[in-house]
Amino acid sequence: MTDHLSATTLSALADGELAAEQLETTNQHLAECPSCTSNALQSSLLKSAMGKTGQRFAPTHEFQARVARQIKGGLPLQEVSRLVDSRSSNRGSLLYSWTAAAAVLFVSIGIILVQHNWNRSATASVEFAALATEACDQHIATLASNASPEVISSDRHTVKPWFQGKLPFSFNLPDNLPNGTILDGANLTYIHGLPAAQLLYSIGKHRVSVYLEQATGDGLPRNSKSSDLSIDHSGFHVFSFKTSDLDGIAVSDVDPARLSDLATMIARAQN
Amino acid sequence: MPLLPSLYNIAFWLCRHATDAEDLVQETFLKALRGFGTFETGTNFKAWIFRILRNTYLTSKSGLAAKRTVALEDELNESGESGPSQYPEAAVDWQTPEMNLIQLADQAALQEAMEKLPAPLLEVILLCDVEGMKYKEIAMVLGIPIGTVMSRIARARASIRRALKGEWEPSREIRL
Repeated sequence: MTDHLSATTLSALADGELAAEQLETTNQHLAECPSCTSNALQSSLLKSAMGKTGQRFAPTHEFQARVARQIKGGLPLQEVSRLVDSRSSNRGSLLYSWTAAAAVLFVSIGIILVQHNWNRSATASVEFAALATEACDQHIATLASNASPEVISSDRHTVKPWFQGKLPFSFNLPDNLPNGTILDGANLTYIHGLPAAQLLYSIGKHRVSVYLEQATGDGLPRNSKSSDLSIDHSGFHVFSFKTSDLDGIAVSDVDPARLSDLATMIARAQN
Repeated sequence: MPLLPSLYNIAFWLCRHATDAEDLVQETFLKALRGFGTFETGTNFKAWIFRILRNTYLTSKSGLAAKRTVALEDELNESGESGPSQYPEAAVDWQTPEMNLIQLADQAALQEAMEKLPAPLLEVILLCDVEGMKYKEIAMVLGIPIGTVMSRIARARASIRRALKGEWEPSREIRL
């Protein structure tokens, strides 16, 4: 065997990045070359090990709270203080300093008030866009894999109890579903690090994922006036809803109205 | 906060300091908020915000220090071509799978090896193996051709393997 697989090819193989033709050629080579097969295995092991090892540093709760406060509250107050201090420190007259400080403070507060509403809506949009991306990615991964759901059942009395002890919350499934909608099963999953139920439905030939997670206040934008949000992402419709205890997000390429009907029905079942 | 843990993890790996990592993440979020109008709905949000993090890192103190290094061999392959020929294939002379399994199980050794990676190699590995990004997304975050992403990932893994074998070559400088 003279031409072994390149390190780049082995890496791309481990990363699932080879095009169909390259993959076929590579597989043919691997079938005949124990050395490259061994190296391919090592590449996969190394990738997996680095994935685990690389997940190492976690932000403190204090830091997370601080960032949340800052991006939800517009300019940080320290920024205002710093602005005032820097203006006043170079003035000879105390009265002038205070006047200047008050003026700066007044202008700053004005800016903050103007920006506040924009920031709130921008924050909500950023959070929702991130959530929609993650939910879409998971939905696509579910569609791509041929794996069966962890619990396969069209019976809500089977699916709901399956989550007992797996989730730190409970939820209800609607008695009746919209016409043509079938419950296929469910998976236990994680949405931005929190445990969630992924309910799998079919509407005709369209697959739907509905994610339910415990309301935390920092997931879906709960401070937005509108409780329901929708967005189109990568060709999929994403529809979010909230109840008093749960956040929900539904993803599918089905007609948005039918997706919304299903989501609304699930939301109502929680009351 | 969505993506905050992921952003912080990458920031810490790059800065190697908790306070610097916090500053970097904080600035990233503020920039993301300010520039949210430039984000195109329906495009890859994760890649977009990681790109902001990475660009912010490049202008930070630790990022500027890392940026000063230049690598000859990477330069040869940065033209946008994948250039797999740079890695003579049979040159991948690894140990027995059994030995490697044992070494990979030693998480401390792997951590140490990752810490020794130069920033350009570390960042592609973190984005690929930890964040699970595709090459196209990584290219978007780093602003480099996909071929360069491929070669850097291969080099990073080769470096890690060498380090695990105790053959670390410390100063292979690479441009960010």
